[in-house]
Amino acid sequence: MTLQYGQIWQYLPDFLMGALVALWIAAVAFAGGLVIGLFGAAVLSYGPWPARAAVGAYVRFFTWTPQLVQIFFLFFALPEVGIILSPVTAVLIGMTLNAGAYLTEIERAGFASVPQAELDAADCMGFSRLQIVWYVIAPHVIRALYPALSNHYIIMTLGTSMAAIFGVEELTGRALNANAISFRSVEIFSVVALIYIALTIIASTLLWLVGRWMFRIRAKVF
Amino acid sequence: MSAWDIIVSEAPRFFTWWNLKFLVEALGNTLIASVLGCALGYALGFALAALRLPQLVPFAPLRALCVLWVEIFRRIPFLVLLLLVFFLSQFAGLEAPLWSVAVAAVAIRMSALAAENVRAGLESVRPTQWEAALTMNLRPWTVLGRIVLPQAWRVILPPSIAHVLSMVKETSLVSQIGFIEITFAAKMLTQRGFSALLTYGTALVLYFLVGWALASLGRWAERRLTTRATAPSPAAPRAASPLPAP
Repeated sequence: MTLQYGQIWQYLPDFLMGALVALWIAAVAFAGGLVIGLFGAAVLSYGPWPARAAVGAYVRFFTWTPQLVQIFFLFFALPEVGIILSPVTAVLIGMTLNAGAYLTEIERAGFASVPQAELDAADCMGFSRLQIVWYVIAPHVIRALYPALSNHYIIMTLGTSMAAIFGVEELTGRALNANAISFRSVEIFSVVALIYIALTIIASTLLWLVGRWMFRIRAKVF
Repeated sequence: MSAWDIIVSEAPRFFTWWNLKFLVEALGNTLIASVLGCALGYALGFALAALRLPQLVPFAPLRALCVLWVEIFRRIPFLVLLLLVFFLSQFAGLEAPLWSVAVAAVAIRMSALAAENVRAGLESVRPTQWEAALTMNLRPWTVLGRIVLPQAWRVILPPSIAHVLSMVKETSLVSQIGFIEITFAAKMLTQRGFSALLTYGTALVLYFLVGWALASLGRWAERRLTTRATAPSPAAPRAASPLPAP
């Protein structure tokens, strides 16, 4: 038995399109998670205790249980109570809720990074509330959060591979399809692994460049 | 029927001795695969981090290989890595049992995360410690074992417990190759006709309890390590994005 890479080149364009689907799923879920996270972090930082307890329970539940089982629950258990989700919707909802829990934790740390002295100084200088948010809070929060957020986006891009289990045709799903046709398993999955590596390295580099130019962040991404 | 009605009507049929035994055994398999995989992964990750130290390995290509290993296996999704290990073991003609495939995949994944964590720990020890010990003619491996590691330990341990938790969650993907851990057990029970609300709900509760236990252990270890620290520790450098699993 030998490796026959020649037989699987035909799938390469298909795989690359799948990689774009993976990036798209990760981006949508990340955007949703960012909103949930902002809300959750605000509640954890400034909310009353019942709301804090509820957000804390949400964060614990979603960070202590596997994303796969959460999506299984959405996909297989919810139809029993009359909520039927398509595979992509179930994956997106599951990933968004999961990301929301992690990003709540991350963003809370960002909120804590604004020094009180700077807020007081801005107040003394007669900044309006909007100016304080824009000139004082935002730079601190973005700078503190950017590396952690971009790291989480990469993690989520890798996490999209579990969408394949529900029949979503992203990169891993297309690999499983190609595997079912050609049975060139080792060749297919080694190529797919390389695509994931290339994809995340490109995404990391782009995020690093954006951080460098837009927010002057010198953090290490690699 | 509402969710509550389904659960109440099916619970007596679901929570039987045999089903519970099956679930507990599956929980045991989850824990064995993740703990054994983590132990092997940490051993490998420790070796990778040590071989990256210029004080120990005065040979740059070997250090570069260690970096390459870490960068590669950090960036492959666990599902793809698992399938790759699974198909490679078949390709090599090994009649590997499923649990060993699971443990191998967890160990490889863990080695990349562990190497970053151990490296952050080793770098948290001031370089002057190395220089002083080497000047006193201690051998490099002795310096690592006797001087650097005892100090790095406090930085390494707390994230490693979080890593065990993330591997417990990653092993849910091993259900895809048929290893009977919690997720696969839930899937089997669903296929036997039990309500998915109950089966996957129970799986989620089991994972939650494991997560709770590990998080409590992590907090306890962190508290113990920080209160016993006598000297103020130098600021630990952040591990370069350790990419834990969601």
